[in-house]
Amino acid sequence: MPEAIDIQLKKGALDLCVLALLSRGDSYAYEIASRLSETIGMGEGTIYPLMRRMQADGLVETYLVESSAGPSRKYYRLTAAGQTSFAAQKDAWRSFAGAVQTILGEP
Amino acid sequence: MTRHDFIARLRQGLVGLPLQAQSDIVADYETHFNEGLAAGRSEADVAAALGDPDRLARELRTEVGVQRWQAQRNPEAAAAAVFAVLGLGAIDILVLLPILITVVSVLCAFGIVALVGFVAGAFVLAAGPFAHGPGGIGAALLTGLGMMAGGVSMASVVTLVSIGLVNALIWYGRLHYRLLKPAIDPQPVGEFAAS
Repeated sequence: MPEAIDIQLKKGALDLCVLALLSRGDSYAYEIASRLSETIGMGEGTIYPLMRRMQADGLVETYLVESSAGPSRKYYRLTAAGQTSFAAQKDAWRSFAGAVQTILGEP
Repeated sequence: MTRHDFIARLRQGLVGLPLQAQSDIVADYETHFNEGLAAGRSEADVAAALGDPDRLARELRTEVGVQRWQAQRNPEAAAAAVFAVLGLGAIDILVLLPILITVVSVLCAFGIVALVGFVAGAFVLAAGPFAHGPGGIGAALLTGLGMMAGGVSMASVVTLVSIGLVNALIWYGRLHYRLLKPAIDPQPVGEFAAS
């Protein structure tokens, strides 16, 4: 069982990470899940409740893309509200992370 | 855990949701398995990385319930959303229940007073002109209308407060679930065998 603070940090940053990935280009759930699972060690299944919530909040929208092999894929893209939210969350994260760095006494 | 087990437990956890939502959710996870297998992973590997299906189902139930409550503000949707949030286990029900019961009772009392005021007003409006009370017909009509209007405005205040209460509960439950009970790390494989 990992330390609670580790989990809380990841969970808090998860929304921001998904918004950041989507800001660089539209993507589908499996790809987002595997990227985040590799980099920050997120359980892959968590992506689906999260995408659902973001969609309900109007931050992302979906569209289907025909794929050459198999059924069409559901892609997610940021809405205007999603881009605004991303910018705001990124600023909040930077100032918070900066403040913590200062307190830790590291450059 | 095999793909079949995972999907079966997920389905079990989603029972009672609108059928469209259920099939959308299951399709998402089926697609995930397909992608994983196509990438050369084993079923057990994908299932373990996905996490606990019961937990995921609880979280998805909440999202669907809240979404429905946001779309249609009716008592049924409110009840479904509140029960889904309580099902997350993030709110200590023993602490919350006395407070909740008190608040709901007060709201009910105000609602009843509003209803009684409205009905009594309607009665005064209808019967007053024949009762030959002080002030004559005009006063009786105005009193009746006034009481009805009072009842209606009180009912709307009660409704607004109730909606606010449900929203607050959802906000609180989701916040605490996300912070206290994260599903971030895949569950150890041993836990699946035990449960």
